[in-house]
Amino acid sequence: MNLYQPHLVRISDIVDETPDTRTLRLAFKDDTLASTFDFKAGQFGEYSVFGWGESTFCIASSPTRKGTIECTFKAVGKATKAMRELGVGDEMGFRGPYGNCFPLDRMEGASLVFIAGGIGLAPVRCVIWNALDLREHFKDVTIVYGARTVSDLVYKRELADWQERGDVKLWQTVDPGGETAEWAHEVGFVPPIVEKAAPSAENAYAIVCGPPVMIKFTLPVLAKLGFADDHVYTTLENRMKCGIGKCGRCNVGPVYVCKDGPVFNAAELARLPQEF
Amino acid sequence: MRTTSIPHEQLAALVVDLVGAGTTVLAPARAERGHVDYRPISSLAEAVLGGGMPRRSLKEFFLPPTEPLLTWRYVQGAVELHDVPTTFASCVVLGARPCDAAALDVVDRVMDWDYHDELWFGRRAATTIVSLACSAADASCFCPAVGLAPDSTKGADILLRPGSDGFLAEVVSEKGEALVAAHPDRFRPAPEPLIPAAAAADAQSCQRPTVPAPLPLPAIRSWLESNFEHPVWEQLALRCHGCGACAAVCPTCHCFDIVDEPEGVTHGTRRRNWDTCQTGRFTVHASGHNPRASQTARIRQRVMHKFTIYPAKFGETLCSGCGRCARECPAGMDLPEILALLTAFATAPTQPKEVVA
Repeated sequence: MNLYQPHLVRISDIVDETPDTRTLRLAFKDDTLASTFDFKAGQFGEYSVFGWGESTFCIASSPTRKGTIECTFKAVGKATKAMRELGVGDEMGFRGPYGNCFPLDRMEGASLVFIAGGIGLAPVRCVIWNALDLREHFKDVTIVYGARTVSDLVYKRELADWQERGDVKLWQTVDPGGETAEWAHEVGFVPPIVEKAAPSAENAYAIVCGPPVMIKFTLPVLAKLGFADDHVYTTLENRMKCGIGKCGRCNVGPVYVCKDGPVFNAAELARLPQEF
Repeated sequence: MRTTSIPHEQLAALVVDLVGAGTTVLAPARAERGHVDYRPISSLAEAVLGGGMPRRSLKEFFLPPTEPLLTWRYVQGAVELHDVPTTFASCVVLGARPCDAAALDVVDRVMDWDYHDELWFGRRAATTIVSLACSAADASCFCPAVGLAPDSTKGADILLRPGSDGFLAEVVSEKGEALVAAHPDRFRPAPEPLIPAAAAADAQSCQRPTVPAPLPLPAIRSWLESNFEHPVWEQLALRCHGCGACAAVCPTCHCFDIVDEPEGVTHGTRRRNWDTCQTGRFTVHASGHNPRASQTARIRQRVMHKFTIYPAKFGETLCSGCGRCARECPAGMDLPEILALLTAFATAPTQPKEVVA
C-alpha cells in the first residue's frame, strides 16, 4: 500500500447541522483498523469520494470516542459536493491522521477557553469532547461560540448539552440581525462576547478557530485579558494535497502546515509570513 | 570507493549488454525536434555524451509528470481499490549531468521526510546513475555558485571522467560497485593506458563573471529570512509571467497535485501530476481566499523555498545550478543573476532598499 492509498470507510450516520453544513460519521471497513485506529485532537485527514478527489478537514470527533470518526464540512468544492451526495452505507476514502495536535498534555490542570465561529467549531469540538471526557484533568471550561445566524450554529444538540452541564460555561452568540424571536442568548460578534465572558487567564489556555476576521479581532481581546501568546492556540487551514510534507502546497514561510501544523500558538503565528 | 576505467568500445558493449538483459539505458540523446534530452538508447552511438545540456532534467524518470497512485472500481455500491506497483524495472542512466544527479539526492530528503515515498524510492532503487563530468558549460550553468562542481559525485553511483580513449570511472556507491562487478569484462584497472585527456571543465570556466562562485549561501539565507517584505520581489514579479516553465524544467522542484480521473462511471485512476507554486491557483482555498494572490508573492516563494525554507529543514539548497530555469524562461528571468543581486543586498554594509537595474 503506498502512502497515498486511503482506507475505505463507510458512512454510518449523517447529521445536517445547518442548511449547508453536514456531519458524516465514518466507520472503517477494515475491522482491525476500526479497533486500532487512534489519533490526537487537532489532527486532520484527507477525505475522498472516488472520481471527485480528496478534501482536507480536521477529525471533528474526539479521540476518546473510539470506533468511528466524524467530519463536518460545507459543500463548496468538487469533492465536498460529491460527499454531500453520499448516503448512509456509501463508501469513501480516508487517509490520516496527519499533522500535529493541540498539546492537551501540557494543558492538564489548567482552565480551557474554547472560542469558535461558524464551522470553526468542528476542530474545537474535537478538543472540547476530549477534555470533557477527561473532565477531572482540567479546571474551568469556558466555550464562546458564535455564528452568523441561529440556523448557522453547528452541533445544536451538543450546544444544548453543554448549556445544561454545570461544569461548562457556554456563551452562544449570533451576529446582529441573525437572531430569532426565541433566541435567548447573546447577540454580537465573537470578540466582544469573549470580552464580556472575560475568562480568567490565570493558568489557562485558549483554543480559537473560526473565520480569519474573527481570529484577528479575538487575539487582541485575549491579550487584553492577559493570555500570553504561547497560551493561545489555533489551526491554519492552508490548501493541502498530500498531507505528508511532499507536495509543497501548504508551505508558509518556514513551516509546512501539514507536518509542522495544523495547530500553532499565537506566538508561532506572529513569526510566520501572512500567507495563510 | 575506487577508480577503474572503461574504454570507449567497452562502454558501447556495456550498453549492448544492459539493453540485452532488459535494462533500460537512458542517456542524453537527440530528440526528434533536434534538442538533446535524456532518452532510452539501444546503442552508445545514439548517445550525445558531453554535448549540450539535456533540455529537461532526470526528474521525470523518478517523479513522472503524471503517474497513477491507485485505481478504484465501484462494484455494487462497494469500492474496490487497487494499489500501483512500487517496484520498477532496472534502469541505468548513462552520462547524467552531475547537477541532475545531485538534484536527485536533494529531492530524496523531501521524499523521505518522515513518510517514505515508495514510488519515488522504488524508481531510485531500480536506477543506477552513471554521471559524466562536464567538459564544457554554457552561459546559464552555475553549479559552482551553489557549491557543486562540473565533476561532483553527489547523487551519482559512478562518475565518468573523459579520457583519451574512454573514461576513468570513479565508483561512488555500492550500486555503482554492483554495476562494475556485474560486468567485469568491460572495466579495466584504473590508470592503465587511459590518461585523462580533457579534465572536467574547471569551476571558473563554468561560471559567468557576474555571479560569485560559490555564493555566500548562509548570508543570502539570513537576508531572505529578514526580507520577506522588500521591493525586489515586486520588481522581479513585473517580469515574471507566472507560467511555471522554470519549475517544470527544474530538477529539484517537486510540488505536485493529486486528482481523480474517472474512466467511465464505475472506475478511474487517482493520479499525481506536477504542479508549481508559480501559478495563481496553487494555493487557493475552497472559500476562494488565496494566500499567495500576486505574482510578487509567488516569485518570492520560489526563491525563498530554494534558498531558505528547504535549507532550514534539510541543511542544503534546493538548487543544483543546472541553469535550466534561466535557459527556458520566456521572459528572460535569470536565477543566477537574481542570486547575484541578493548577494549584493546580503553583503552590503547597509542594505540597499532600491533595486539596482
